[in-house]
Amino acid sequence: MLYIEDIEYFDLVVIVNGCEVCRRVPTHQRLLDFLRDDLRLTGTKEVCGEGECGACTVILNGETVNSCLILAVEAHGSEIMTIEGLSHGQNLTDLQQAFIEKHSVQCGYCIPGMVLSAEQLEHEQAQPDREIIKQGLAGNICRCTGYHKIIDAVEQKGDR
Amino acid sequence: MKYYRPVSEPELLDLLGTLDQSNYTLLAGGTDLMPRFESGMELPLHLVDLKGIDCFSGINDRGDNIEIGSLTTIDALRKSDLIHQSFQALWQATDQFAATQIRNRATIGGNICNASPAGDTLPPLYAYQAQVRIIGPAGERQVPIADFISGPGKTALNPSEILFSVILPKAAGFSTFYKLGLRQAMAVSVINFAVVAVVDREKKVFNKLTIAAGSVAPTVKYLNKLAGALQNNGNGIDGIIDLVDQDISPIDDIRATAAYRRKALKNILAFTLKELVNKR
Ligand SMILES: Cc1cc2nc3c(=O)[nH]c(=O)nc-3n(C[C@H](O)[C@H](O)[C@H](O)COP(=O)(O)OP(=O)(O)OC[C@H]3O[C@@H](n4cnc5c(N)ncnc54)[C@H](O)[C@@H]3O)c2cc1C
Ligand code: FES
Ligand code: FES
Repeated sequence: MLYIEDIEYFDLVVIVNGCEVCRRVPTHQRLLDFLRDDLRLTGTKEVCGEGECGACTVILNGETVNSCLILAVEAHGSEIMTIEGLSHGQNLTDLQQAFIEKHSVQCGYCIPGMVLSAEQLEHEQAQPDREIIKQGLAGNICRCTGYHKIIDAVEQKGDR
Repeated sequence: MKYYRPVSEPELLDLLGTLDQSNYTLLAGGTDLMPRFESGMELPLHLVDLKGIDCFSGINDRGDNIEIGSLTTIDALRKSDLIHQSFQALWQATDQFAATQIRNRATIGGNICNASPAGDTLPPLYAYQAQVRIIGPAGERQVPIADFISGPGKTALNPSEILFSVILPKAAGFSTFYKLGLRQAMAVSVINFAVVAVVDREKKVFNKLTIAAGSVAPTVKYLNKLAGALQNNGNGIDGIIDLVDQDISPIDDIRATAAYRRKALKNILAFTLKELVNKR
């Protein structure tokens, strides 16, 4: 949370995972903190807080963004999808299933962001090759897996 | 901090007229501003978001020129056929810029106004002899990009002025961009440069050559000594590459030493120029 002395508020209206949400938020609140603290959508993670790691990735009006670099007020009037909005209940997407089958997850901290970036990549390009997958996931850092199994999962999903 | 999102240019100018210049900050993609706020920089009293004004973004064909709105994102430039076909160096700079999430937010105007010596769109813009279009309460003016940026983080914007767009003359010639970072993605440039050239393929000489390099001085620098020596010439590039030294003043920092920057720039530039002039 950014520090500020004179707090001003803003009546925010956003669509989060398909539901309209109206909340009064401090103007200096980051979208990341709004999602995690106010809406309790804690699938979106914070690691670096400066745009380097991608753990806080969400989809804003159809584009992946780092929610740590955006104020909640900037999202006013927008549609946001977080990792919680991706699956339908227990029905995982093919890509999420592929992450499980390929054992692509270790500690899991990077995975929500990784999955959203991969979903977005596949949305733009039906069968990305490994090089394109690497470029598409370049904004997401993983400190556990060494990436190979993550790329395997995205590649396998593309093959289906 | 009060947040504003004007939706038209007149509304923006009216708003800025009512605010005390020292108290507000303009917000584009926020990819430079937000990390600064997060590392403790004091927040402004007023934050004016430019993203609500449609005429600030877009790439427009204006006959002899193209005009790029300051709020155009790096990703939009990267996906533009016009940029890809006619402004290769700029396209390459956007393709090697950070990664998807940042490219989706970061704007060309933010990159220019941030005026970092390492800004990746800057060497191409300098090499194309781009002009920036500025709007403000006193009307509109246009200046060459090299006059607009005066030092790290410093620009020629007066109080209440806004960068509206950047204008690139078409038919500049063939262009190419090179970025040396410490890794492939998400890297701040250790050096970067752009070359715009018209080459006589028969004689293997440069008819026209402009070179602009970044991260080797407080602002992007034209390498005019070397480019001048290669005018109507294409031979012995290795022998005259040291002319580069006369136009640059790199420093040591956490990413590289000054000596490394000099050497890397000269080696990669010599290689690039030789390829250009000898290409069939
Ligand atoms: C993880 C990460 C990776 C990055 N990688 C790169 C990279 O590879 N290459 C690179 O060059 N940069 C990189 N950057 C830096 C940054 O993304 C760019 O400089 C970007 O272009 C800034 O644009 P913005 O729209 O986000 O600017 P903002 O942060 O919104 O604004 C930057 C400054 O410009 C001012 N400003 C913005 N628009 C206007 C306008 N129209 N008129 C007047 N003033 C204006 C703002 O007030 C502010 O002072 C990176 C940043 C991060 C966080
Ligand atoms: S927490 Fe946002 S990019 Fe790292
Ligand atoms: S699985 Fe641990 S950081 Fe990626």
